[in-house]
Amino acid sequence: MSEQPKKNLIQMKNVDKYFGDFQALKNINLEVQRKERIVICGPSGSGKSTLIRCLNRLEKHNTGQVFIDGNELTDQIKDINSVRREVGMVFQSFNLFPHMTVVKNLMVAQQLVRKISKADAKQSAMHFLERVKIPEQANKYPIQLSGGQQQRVAIARALCMKPKIMLFDEPTSALDPEMINEVLEVMVDLATDGMTMICVTHEMGFARSVADRIIFMDLGEIVEESKPSEFFDNPKNERTKNFLQQILTH
Amino acid sequence: MIIDFTLIAESLPVMLKGIGITFQLLIISGFLGLILAIFLLLMRISGKWYLSFPAQIYIYVFRGTPILVQIFIIYYGLPQFGFIRNSILWPILREPMGCAIVALSLNTGAYVSEILRGGVLAVGKGLIEAGSALGMSAYQKFVYITAPIATRIALPAYSNDVISLLKSTALASTITIADMTGIGRTIVANTYAPYEIFISLAIVYLIFTFILQKLFGYIEHYLGRYTRREG
Amino acid sequence: MAALNGWWDDYFWGALVIFQVFFCSLGFMIIFGLLGAIAKLSSNKIAQKIANAYTVAFRGTPEILVILLMYFGAAIFLTSAAQLFNPEVKFVDLPPFWAGTIAISLIVGSYATETFRGAFLGVNPGSIEAAKALGMSDIQTFVYIRIPEMWRIALPPFGNHMLSLIKDTALISIIGLNETMFVAKQAITVTGKPFTMYIVVGAIYLGFSTVVTLSVMGLEKFGERTTAGAK
Repeated sequence: MSEQPKKNLIQMKNVDKYFGDFQALKNINLEVQRKERIVICGPSGSGKSTLIRCLNRLEKHNTGQVFIDGNELTDQIKDINSVRREVGMVFQSFNLFPHMTVVKNLMVAQQLVRKISKADAKQSAMHFLERVKIPEQANKYPIQLSGGQQQRVAIARALCMKPKIMLFDEPTSALDPEMINEVLEVMVDLATDGMTMICVTHEMGFARSVADRIIFMDLGEIVEESKPSEFFDNPKNERTKNFLQQILTH
Repeated sequence: MIIDFTLIAESLPVMLKGIGITFQLLIISGFLGLILAIFLLLMRISGKWYLSFPAQIYIYVFRGTPILVQIFIIYYGLPQFGFIRNSILWPILREPMGCAIVALSLNTGAYVSEILRGGVLAVGKGLIEAGSALGMSAYQKFVYITAPIATRIALPAYSNDVISLLKSTALASTITIADMTGIGRTIVANTYAPYEIFISLAIVYLIFTFILQKLFGYIEHYLGRYTRREG
Repeated sequence: MAALNGWWDDYFWGALVIFQVFFCSLGFMIIFGLLGAIAKLSSNKIAQKIANAYTVAFRGTPEILVILLMYFGAAIFLTSAAQLFNPEVKFVDLPPFWAGTIAISLIVGSYATETFRGAFLGVNPGSIEAAKALGMSDIQTFVYIRIPEMWRIALPPFGNHMLSLIKDTALISIIGLNETMFVAKQAITVTGKPFTMYIVVGAIYLGFSTVVTLSVMGLEKFGERTTAGAK
């Protein structure tokens, strides 16, 4: 089944990751097909962020193999940036470039990394700003936007690179409750349009309605992996049951 | 004690003749020092030990010794060596102005590189990661993300260093240069009126300092325009 | 190198002078700094104005000018004062040691004023409230809560002030203090090796700087023993 890595858009085989003596990822095996929507959940420190950060090599895995669209991520990889172009990432703390306007934030990587012309980059930027429903903020600086707006800009910035995969690292965890929905709506739209996405989140409503598969991680391992209906109604593992009890009752 | 205002009135114009020299020392040393500082910074953050280590030693030595000693070593000390006297640098190192500019540049370069490094380290790690995630190269990340933000962050500390440099230019008077302080000292030697001369001279420096602070204030305001919600 | 023979003991005594200046000026610097900070933080407008004038004047004036003014100014003042009592007196001066020590204490003290002021403001107001809620008196709160926390915050910049004191000591040689620069000048007339002699001066100052820097690092670690565990 995993003899042809090219069939899977993402493949992780027996991946371990250590931070010094601490083992953050234990024997991770994961396959993601095109257009799949994966949600990863779990308690803090379970390794969820570390896992997705290994997919664009913001973290380097120690053992095992990571394949993105057939390309293996190793130290020898000639041009990590050619892989990173195809993998978009949205961060918990947005990480918009504070010294650039919104539209410049969306244009800079297009011009520098994809060598797109200024005019085309701007057109593309405005297109995606409309998609996230805030085209009127184009010439503002990030500090002038609300948290929800900033995160939507961050999503647009990643989309401008036309990636094959979108990674979301707790995109709504740093937002005030009233702004979470505007971001989730954008993510649902994206999913409906067929984007392959892996989303680390605590938003269980989103997970239930959008995910094809939910992965539960604890202490660096993938403990359970199933479709949403099975996951919420029929969790198999004790630890999954405990986790669900904790987050669903309060 | 009576203050001799006529003496002040007579002496100030004479001392102000030295303002051109003071200015030259400040601007040229400041500029050369900044270039040196950028080189040292790049060496320090290069990640390669054979670049970083020598830079660290240089910075440690130049920040750990008095600037007067550095000036004296260059002006009085270097002529001790034949190979200096015969080198192409000799026309510069023979002159007090040349020595003063070299010494001040080498010194301020060390301090400013640490200030710039502080700015670079203060740039949020998340922003660099965002650049990486978008596929930007190390060069692109440095030029488009790190440098603009680090410059804004480092500016207050840099402006303090420029004011320090202004004050250090007065030390040129110790190697016979006729800057404002040099002229002032000569006048005091002749008139025995240290209060009038040195205090009025100090006021000139204070005015100079004030102008520099205002100037940097404007630059800080301009660079910080994206940090204010009013835009 | 052989030129240095016979001069090592002179350098030693010169280094001792640096040591003495350091300790005396350290004490004064702390006093001036604390007084200035308290004045700036107080509600007394006059005290604030005086403290502001103090910091502006001494942060904007070249150190060498302050030293020259302190020495020659004091000499003029003391000579005229002495001549009131005994017209035969030709010249009374404030010994270069004291003129220089007080001068550099005033200069670095003006920077220390800002450091202490910022550090006092940086003390967690929550801690003060907790102390009051527990019934501690104002003095107790000041001594047991404010001062220790203030020192912890002020320590890194304070370390820089100590380094400034050491390096400014070299400037006092200009008014005749017999520390290492002075020794070097004498040695040069005898040996004709200015580079060698001034390098030794540099090395001695570098040594002092290193000791101070390491001590401050050690003190910082000590101060962090209560906060470092909080991850």
